Parts: sequence; C-alpha cells; structure tokens
Amino acid sequence: MPTYSESLENGLKVVLRPIPETKALSTWVVYRIGSRNEVPGMTGSTHWVEHMLFKGGGRLGKGDIDKLISRLGGKLNAFTDTDFTMYFETIPASALDTALMIEAERMRNAAFDPKEVEAERTVVISEREGAENQPEFLVEEELWGLAFHVHPYHWTAIGYKQDLANLERDPLYRHYLRYYAPNNASLILVGGFDPAVAMQHIREAFGPLKREAPPEPLRLAEPEQRGERRSDLHRPGPTDLLAMGWHVPGVAHDDTPALILLSTILGGWRGMVPFAAGDWRSRSNRLYRALVATKLATDVGARQEMKVDPSLLIAGVTLARGVSLDRVESVVDREVAKLKAAPPSKAEVGRARQQARAWSRYEQDGVTFQGMLLSIGEGLSSWDFPETLLAKVEKVRPDQIRDVARSYLVDDHRTVVRFHAQEVPT
Amino acid sequence: MNLPDRTVLESGAVLVSYALPSNPFIAFRGSLPAGVAAEGSDHGVAEFTTRLLLSGTRRMSAAKFADRLEGIGATLEFRNGDEVLSFQGRCTRENAAETVRLLVDCLSQPTFPPKEVERVREELRNDLRIEADDTRHRAHRELARLVFPKDHPYGRDPKGSEARVRRIRRSDIVSFHEAQAGPEGLIFAVTGDVDRKLIETALVGPLSRLKGEGGAVPAIPPPPPSRPAAVSIPMPHKSQADIAIGGPAIARRHEDYYALNLANLLFGRIGLFGRLGRNLRDEQGLAYYAFSSLDARTSGGMWSIGAGVNPSNLAKAIESIRAELDRLRTEPFSREEIVDGKDNQIGSLVVSLERNAEVASELHGMEYFGLGMDFLERYAEIVKALSEDRVRDIARKYFLRSASSLVVAGPVGRTRVEW
Repeated sequence: MPTYSESLENGLKVVLRPIPETKALSTWVVYRIGSRNEVPGMTGSTHWVEHMLFKGGGRLGKGDIDKLISRLGGKLNAFTDTDFTMYFETIPASALDTALMIEAERMRNAAFDPKEVEAERTVVISEREGAENQPEFLVEEELWGLAFHVHPYHWTAIGYKQDLANLERDPLYRHYLRYYAPNNASLILVGGFDPAVAMQHIREAFGPLKREAPPEPLRLAEPEQRGERRSDLHRPGPTDLLAMGWHVPGVAHDDTPALILLSTILGGWRGMVPFAAGDWRSRSNRLYRALVATKLATDVGARQEMKVDPSLLIAGVTLARGVSLDRVESVVDREVAKLKAAPPSKAEVGRARQQARAWSRYEQDGVTFQGMLLSIGEGLSSWDFPETLLAKVEKVRPDQIRDVARSYLVDDHRTVVRFHAQEVPT
Repeated sequence: MNLPDRTVLESGAVLVSYALPSNPFIAFRGSLPAGVAAEGSDHGVAEFTTRLLLSGTRRMSAAKFADRLEGIGATLEFRNGDEVLSFQGRCTRENAAETVRLLVDCLSQPTFPPKEVERVREELRNDLRIEADDTRHRAHRELARLVFPKDHPYGRDPKGSEARVRRIRRSDIVSFHEAQAGPEGLIFAVTGDVDRKLIETALVGPLSRLKGEGGAVPAIPPPPPSRPAAVSIPMPHKSQADIAIGGPAIARRHEDYYALNLANLLFGRIGLFGRLGRNLRDEQGLAYYAFSSLDARTSGGMWSIGAGVNPSNLAKAIESIRAELDRLRTEPFSREEIVDGKDNQIGSLVVSLERNAEVASELHGMEYFGLGMDFLERYAEIVKALSEDRVRDIARKYFLRSASSLVVAGPVGRTRVEW
C-alpha cells in the first residue's frame, strides 16, 4: 500500500498511509523508549509514565483525552514494550485535528500532578498483581530474569513490585522529559485523509515542539551465556509448565528471516502484531505433533521475540496431567536435535513461508492494526521493516534453517524454567 | 452505506456478505445451532464435539488437515457457545474456495478418531483445572450460575465437569453431531476482499454441499428467576481478588435493549470504564480494571460488573461499586453524560467497522438476531430517539443491587462477603 515518510525539522518522523476508501483514521505515536532504557530501582517506570499520559496536561485537563475520543466513538490505548512505547487513537477521519492535538500535548506537556501519580501507583501495582495470578507470567518473568544478567531485558515491562511501591514522582517526570521528544518519536497516520492536508496539520501541531538532546545509546550488552541456566518453580497451580529460551540476535540481524521460519516450523507463526492472532493456534508444527497429538501436552508454542537487542527464541509447553517435565523436555530436545540434524523438507518450509505470507495480510486488518504494524516497525527499525523482512523470508533456503538451528539452539545458551504445579490450597 | 448482501441457499443456509476492499484478505464468521442449548442434559457434549471438528475428516487425517489448512495460510477455529457452535476463519481471496471446502468438510464429515477423542478428553480436563485456578474465570462462572440457575444453558459450564468429561463416549459425540449439524440454521457471514463474483464462484458451491439432517434450532427457555446471593471463593495462593457482580437483564430483541445498552455504556464502559472506572480506577486507584458488561442473548441476558483488586482493598471496592449502583438513583445520568454516550455509539459505527473481524461479527449478529440487513443504517436513528429519561429509568430498572449477586474469588480468606 502506498506509504510516505518524511521528517519535520525537530526530528519527528512522520509516516502516512492514506486509504481513501475508509472513513476511519488511526493515529499512532511510537517513542523509542521502553523498559530497556530503565535502570535497576526504576523498573516499570516507562509503563507508569504511559499511564500518566492519559491524565492531561497543557491544553488537556484530567479526563479530557477519554472524553474527546469517546464522543467521537473512537478507541484509544497504549502499550509499553521493552524497546518502545506506543499510543493510538482510532477515530472518524474527519477528527484528525483532535488526535493530533492530543498527541502533541502528550509529547511535551503531560501534567504529572503528584496526586495523580500517587493514585496511579496502586493501579500499576494492581495490573502487576493481576498478571501474578497467572502462572505463565511467573514463568515468563523467571525466564527473562535468568537469561539476562546484564541487559535490561532482565526485567519485564511491568517492573518489579518493590520498585513500583517506592518510585517517586520526580524521577518519573524526568524519565518522561528525557525520552518524550519529537526527535525520539514517529507519528503514523493510516486511514481516510489527504496526505498534503494532513502534513500541513501535522506541521502546525508538532512543528513548534522542541527537540531534546538525543538519548544516549544503550551501552549494556549481554555477555555470552556460558552454560545452561535452570530454574524450578514450585508453586500452587493447575498444570506443569515448561519454557525454554535460547539467545538469538537482535531483529536487524541477517539470521532473523531464517529464525522466523525455524520458530514457525517448531511451534507455529502468529504474526508480528500482538492480538491479531486471537486464540488461533497452529497444529501443523513439530512441537504440536510431538507433544499435543501424543497427549503429552495440551498447548505448545514457539516464538522468536523480535527485539532491538539480542533476545530469545522461546518454546513454551503446557503439560498434560500426569506427564513428567523430564519427559516433555526430552521430547523438545529431540525435536531441536532433528532441526539441527537435517534441513526441513521443502514442503514444510513452503508451509511455514505461506503462513508468514498470509499473516502479513491478516495483520493489515483495518486502520488500527495497520497503524500498529507500522509503529512496531518504527519501534524496532523502520516502518517498512515487516515488509522487508517478509521479502527476506521468501528467500530463505531449507539448509539455512538447519544452520540457524545449529548456531542458536545450543544447550549452553539456553535457559530452562520448569513450573511444578503444587496442589492448590483450599 | 451499502447494505450487506443476504442470500438464502437452497439448503436453508444463509450467506451474508459485505465488501471491505481496503482490507486485503477475507474474514468469515458463522454459526450452527449446536451449542450448549442443544445438548439437553448431556452436559459437556457440545464442547467436546466442537473441539474435535479439526481432528480429521473423511478426506483427511487431523495432521493432513492441519498441513493443508496452514499450507494455504488459512485459519479456522470452532468455538462452543451457550446457544450456537460458532466458527471463524481468515483466508486470502485466492484460497477462499479451498478454505470454505475445508470448513464444510469439518462440519459435514468429521470422523472423530478415537485417539483424538482421548486427546481432547485430556485437554478438557486440563482446561477445567486451569480455569479452576483462574480468579476471574471462577468469579464470573459462579456469577453466571447464580443469575441463570436451575441448570439453564446460560448458567452452566460448557465443559460440564470433570466427571462428565470422563464419562462422555465417542458415540455420544457422533450422535450429537449427527442430530445438530446440517445446513438448517447455518449462518455464514463474510467480509473483506469479497465481491459477488467470488461469492458465487468460490463460496456458494462449497457451502451448498453441506448436508445433514440436523440443525433444528432448539428453543431456549427463558431463564428462571434468580435468587441473589453472595459467594466467596477462597484462593489463598493468588495476588489479586476478582469481583463479579451482576443480575438478570434482557434478550437482544427486548424493547429495553437500546436504552439499557446505552446505560451500560455510561455506567461502566465509555472512556476508561465509565462511572465505575472513574471512581474505582481513576479517583481511588483501587483497580486496574473495573467495568460493566451487558450480555443480551436470544432468551434472556445478564448485566455484570467485573473488577480486579488487591485483597486489602476488597471491602472498599465493593462498597464503591455499591455506591455507584445506588448513585444511579440518587444522581442519575446527566444530560451531558447521555449526549456523550449517544455520540459515542453513533460515532463508533465508523470506528468499530474498520476491521474484517469486527464486520464479520456484526454481520453475523444482524442475521442471528434478525435485526435486518439495514440495521447499521437505522442504528444512529435508534440511538438518537432514546429519551434521556428513558435511559435513566432503564438504568434504575435493571442495575438493581437488590436483585444482583456478588462473587469474590481470590486471596479473601474465609471472610464472609456481604452484599
């Protein structure tokens, strides 16, 4: 689809995808700030800042953002990731200026009223506690914490509860001022608008905002893992869980396309946009065949966590009742060994490629998802990154999939978390 | 706005379509009258059957079927509901015919292989355990049981119980499927990159091949009266407690529906969860989520409130919800609130129909509830015609604390919750 990009003088990158036949408009702003930019003691601050940016400031009073968008019948939300934070509104296209005003105010003028900061503390803690109710969250947090000793991927975007209990308003506000600037952001518009007119309105709304000194590049790099790491969690829960994570390079690396097909063959592909896949689960992958079809597990999945810095390829298993973690782990080992031993068949690679191809269309479902996909692209690299990546996926050969399995699915570089479900107290 | 296209096939199946060419693929959603309501006292059979529909057909084993479906990049899911067996999927224009052929195979020629029956049995047992450990699921499942008592299809767990899952035999599944699956009552709603030619060449043919004797639409009895209750489900190993509060509401075709839908929006949905969210989240910081829902079905419905809170804030949160329910009487919705709500509902027509998945779901609902193909065209007028007093009266009439039940699940000790 025709997409245009240009930058304002203050460094704000603008990406426009006009779709003349639609009456809706999705406006996204992605900031290159995530939990990756946090330091110990301030974990969760990026996510907390995100919450504060719905509470007004500048020309917006408390509750105004909700009210303005609600009246239009619009939807809005925000997401904090390890590498970036995104905000969006989807509204009737005629209300472009409302969205631009909200995002321009949010970029530099958020209020951070101390009373509001304090009220939000219990909300973010509540969000974390809701996640803690799920054993899968505990496994995920343990996995990243164990796999990364130095790099901030060590913690998840929600942060640690003790940090959320102690964080104060001023450091949060400084965090905001430091990273929320036009030259650290991209504005993405998808929907029914005229690009020239939209660009003029964007200049009026965002042009006056001043750039900040660019954020320092992250200097923390995870040293090579020397030896497998393991953790056994014994907690009340309904089922045993297994998660294995192998270190893989950052998303810009040349091996990423082959790793995408590798993870698809191993555990299925669900696209790049979170939520787009819904509850759909692949059944043609190797882990499903080896574990679910044989009644050793009731759910499996594999995903390559696409991040700016070196990250993880994760396989996750929900065990069937009465099956031992050792047994399931040995089956995963066997499947990984097969991937290393021989290239997958052309038919299997073709199927994996077709899934990636089809999902690249399913992720274009409406202006909101298109905006999200472009924003994720901008957060990781550039708006056209998903498209470029797909073109590279098309060229991956079966032997390259075997080669990346040999390079990255290495025992010494993996982390294993086993959740041993204890009887639930009554 | 162009009206959706509606075709009744010779078999009795109904095909509804709406082109949305800016989305470069096809999404479909449909249903058959083979949900919980159709299983009678054979609890859990509908769910068990639904989960086996991707487990092999006369043409293909489960593995071959998955290879074929995913080999063309399509998705297909089946879900069991209180009233219907629903299905949904995605495909590209090029492989639409093949995807619908695969769907029809699943519905008309499932083989229910014994090995797969046993696999799904274990999956169901695991899922029952997972849900029993989920505070939100426990609270809302118990609330549904209280609001729709006496084993009403809306109130029971679609999975049945551990004991039922163990007892269901393959022959029960085969019988249920043969009795329920057929073209009668089938709705197929499709949107995205579709046009008349594609529908005629790629969809009508495969859909017309769906045969079967079943499909008689089961009458769903109106829910019996519910007795308000307060229930506490202690789950001491959890961090957060979930609150579920609710009571009986109305069927989708009831004359009060639109006023109640607007009242529900204002009470616990608009913006950051309406009045409830403003109080519990925004002002007091008690919960990450606190919202209300209106679930209107063919024969009845339920309104409900859900909130997740730290156990130390439980009493305060319940008290605040109680205060908000009472406030509907002492401080009814203002003119400004109602105007905002109407604007939201009218404006949301543009925004909520931007995705294939949402449009397919809306098309399906229009046909299923008999709202008419011009429903979306009429919707704004329906909303505009609601008088302010009617919205306030309806809120008072249905959001009744005295007629509602409360369930709390989480680390709540053995404290009796009062409501």
